[in-house]
Order: sequence, then structure tokens, then C-alpha cells
Amino acid sequence: MATYAKELAQLPLAEAAQLVRAKDVSPVELVEACLARIRAVNDKLAAYISVYEDQARAVAKAAEAMVRAGHWLGPLHGIPVSLKDNVAVRGLATTAGSKILRDWIPDEDATVTTRLRQAGAIFVGKTNMHEFAWGGTSANPHYGAVRNPWNPERFPAGSSGGSGAAVAARTCYGAIGTDTGGSIRLPSAINGIVGIRPTYGRVSNAGIIPLAWSMDTAGPMTRTVEDCAIMFNAIAGPDPKDPNCSAAPVVDYTADLARGARGIRIGVVPGYFFHHLQRPVHDAVRSALKTFEGLGASVIDVNIENIHGNISAQLTIESAEPSSYHQRWLRERPGDYGEDVRTLLEIGEMLLATHYVQAQRYRSLLRSEFLAAFKAVDVFICPTLPFTATPVGAMKVVIENGVEEDMLSAIMQYTGVPSLTGLPSLNVPCGFDLDGLPVGMQIIGQPFGEATLFRVGAAFQAATDFHKRAPAL
Amino acid sequence: MTKSSTIDAAMVRALAAMAELPLAEGRESTIAPILNAWVKDANELSRKMSAAQHWTVTPATIFAHPPLPDGKA
Repeated sequence: MATYAKELAQLPLAEAAQLVRAKDVSPVELVEACLARIRAVNDKLAAYISVYEDQARAVAKAAEAMVRAGHWLGPLHGIPVSLKDNVAVRGLATTAGSKILRDWIPDEDATVTTRLRQAGAIFVGKTNMHEFAWGGTSANPHYGAVRNPWNPERFPAGSSGGSGAAVAARTCYGAIGTDTGGSIRLPSAINGIVGIRPTYGRVSNAGIIPLAWSMDTAGPMTRTVEDCAIMFNAIAGPDPKDPNCSAAPVVDYTADLARGARGIRIGVVPGYFFHHLQRPVHDAVRSALKTFEGLGASVIDVNIENIHGNISAQLTIESAEPSSYHQRWLRERPGDYGEDVRTLLEIGEMLLATHYVQAQRYRSLLRSEFLAAFKAVDVFICPTLPFTATPVGAMKVVIENGVEEDMLSAIMQYTGVPSLTGLPSLNVPCGFDLDGLPVGMQIIGQPFGEATLFRVGAAFQAATDFHKRAPAL
Repeated sequence: MTKSSTIDAAMVRALAAMAELPLAEGRESTIAPILNAWVKDANELSRKMSAAQHWTVTPATIFAHPPLPDGKA
């Protein structure tokens, strides 16, 4: 039974869905398989803050009964998934990884929660994260530092580090993360999984604890591109509860998965995308570009004149906006924040209004340059971050020449561009370093071009097997 | 625009006072070096965005009201 459960947990979401539909596997079996994995690994990884054993079993029994009665809701029917703990679930604690919200019980679901419920997904738990999503390490001072399933001495990145570790460790078939400056893409890359930051406004943020309103997004994290597109189908679309959510119509994001990469024009920014990064990351992403060329895509150098400056703009906006949200708590309960988040929130109160507005003007400039460049290319591809997993708790990172750099600035080197421009971006695993730690590449698309990202990512996964490797944990 | 001066503990305390943010003892020494690096880069970005070729660039935070269905107010 234990071996069977472990094998079930290894299945991609899409395969598990077909087994449920065919009544070959019950949602009850899938939930038990995931709960067994959580019990086996969560003490080592601290990936979950809450585990919903009883609730998940009850919903699974109902889902099983529906399938037996001939009512299959779709590919998420009876599929166990997890939610980052800044996503509201009605009647259950939503902490945002903080001490301040430890006892907060939302009286309403987030829109993504509702849509996953309606699609038939089963929540097995809420995942650990960087406190209030303001940081990239997931070294949470209140619920434990999340660890990387590929090597528990290494970090899982963040801020959706628990979601990344939970998916990579096969404790669920997919998870919801949130991404302001890279918080879906970074843990997806570092944990060897797929994750998408949607176009700003494509997925509702209603019911999600904000970090920086003008850059916040939510999206799925899964083991394959197909699984990611399936979850995206369930959560994307207009939502009157979120004033920043777009009214633009959605498409079937799985429709183009088999179209391949032939004819796709891939842009690279040579003076930036392959500058200042660890050698294994450089080599893996360059090799991926060769793979795409072998699939019939073309690689085109593109100059983005004003790409330098994006990290400063991101730090300014991502400081000022959270410090506005947290202004009251920072005065009333400063000691309840972890040291790093408290420092960042204090700093955000000390930047000038002109710094913030100039950063917002820079966003417009950068966005217009990328939109112009999309006349010549379909997507951009670059590394997701310039290094592989660092030791748990490290606040500095060495990228090259033995020089230590500040983690926060270094980790945003490539993820800042989509965050500032609002463009969608998909992380896809594309290699491993000499220590067996995953490397990810970032595929950046046009506004509302998620279907093209899934198409390109699926073409890569059809030609490679990086996504099929699993951590030994 | 002149180059920014180094941000020290006294300047951090002054900025906190301006924001009416009480700072616990010793917080200045944690904040100052990070703020110093960030402000230096932010000032550099401000200089860039103040250049003549960017005078017409508007911030990403402006509102864009949708038109009324019948085109009337």
C-alpha cells in the first residue's frame, strides 16, 4: 500500500486526472497518497503551515461519490492541491507566514480558492512562505525555515518556498503561489518545477494578503507545463471583486500545448540576460536555447536600451507599497515581525515620493521598450535567477569571482523585468548543476500571451526530461 | 542634481522622525547601510528618468477610466 501511494503521488496532475475520470483511481486514494507524503517529509522541509487531513478526506469522499455517479467536473476533480498561506480560505487560518495574522480566520474565500473548489480541487494544506511574502528565502522565523527537497541544507527560494518544496516533494499535484518580484518563478526554478507569473490582472488577487498592489499576481506551481495550464484554466479570468483584474476574455490554455516550437522567435538581451551569473546556470539556459533551435525556433538578439535600472525600480516600489500596507502594524507591533521583514518595512518608509514616482515612470519606459520588441520576437528567454540553491539562512550569495552580494538584489536580477512590466513569465526546469541542484529558465511573453508560454514550455518538456527527475527525499 | 551624501544613523533617525515611525534602539545601524545602497541606486534612476528624452514618460500608476457605453457623461 505504501509503495502504491508513493507511486500515485509521483504522477503528474494530468495523469492522475485521467485515472480519476476513468474511475481507476479514487480521489480518496490520491488524498491519502499526498497526506502520507506530507507526513513523511514535512518535518524535514517545513513546507506546510497547516495540513487539512480531515477536511481533505471528507471532500475526497464526496468527489469519489460524484465520479461514481457520473459527474466529473473536469481535470481538477478530486485532485489534491495546496495554497500558499496568504490565500484566504473561509473558516481556516490564513497567516501570511506571520505572527501578526497567526489567528486570523477569513470569513470569505479568495477568488482563486473559490475557483479551484468549483473545479473540484481538494485542499490538503496551506504552505509556508517568506513572512508576508516580503523576501526571497522562505526562512520563516515563526513557522520554520522551508528547506529544499533536492538538498534540505539548501534554501527553496521564495517567497512561495513552501509551495515550491511541496510540489517538488510530491506532497500535492499543484500549488498556488503569489509573485510580486519573482516569488512564484524563483522557488519554481530552485525546486525544479514549473510556475507561472500571469499577466498583471489576468488572475484575481481578491482575498490574497497584498505585498505590493501594483505588482502582485497569483499563479499555479506544478511539475509539468501541462499541469500548470490545467490549473491556470481554472483560476484565470475577470473578477469584479478585484478592481485591477482584467476584463479581457480567457482562452483554453491547454489548446496549444502540442503545437511545438517551430517558427517561434525567441529574443535574448545579450548584454543582460547572460551577464553576471553562475556558470552552470549560463550553460543550462544556453543549452535550452540550442534545444529550441533544434525544434525549429529561432534565437534573436534584442537590445533593450533601458533594461539596467530595473532592480532599483523594483526595490523602491516593492518597499514603498508594503510599507504603506503595514504602516499601522509596524508602529503597534514592530517586535512581531522577523528581523529582515521589519528592516525592509522600516526602509520603505524612508524612501522619497520622487523615488517611487520615478520608479513608476521607469516601468512605463521599460514596458514600452518590451512591447516594441515583441514586433520582432514572440517570447524572451533568460535564466530565472543567476545562481542555484544557496545554504538555508544565507543572506549573501556568491555569483562569480568569490564576491559576496546581497541576496535580495541578486535574486531579482532577472525576475524584475516581468514584475515591473506586467508581462507574463513561465519558469521551466532546464538543467542541474554539478551538485544536482535544479536550474530554471524564464520564458517571458506578451500581455495575455500565457497560451504561447505554455506552448513553448510544453515543446521544451516534450524534448527533454528535466521535469521527470524527482528529489530522492 | 548633486550626488547624495552617505546615509548614517543620524539621518536614519531623522527620516524616521519625519515619518513618525518610532525606531527601537540600535535599528539605525541595521537600516543605514541598506538604505544607503538603495537610495544611491534610486537617485541614479531618478537622474536617468529626468533626462530630456524621458520628459513625456508618465508613471505606471495613472488611472485609465473605461468609456461610458453610450459615450455620454
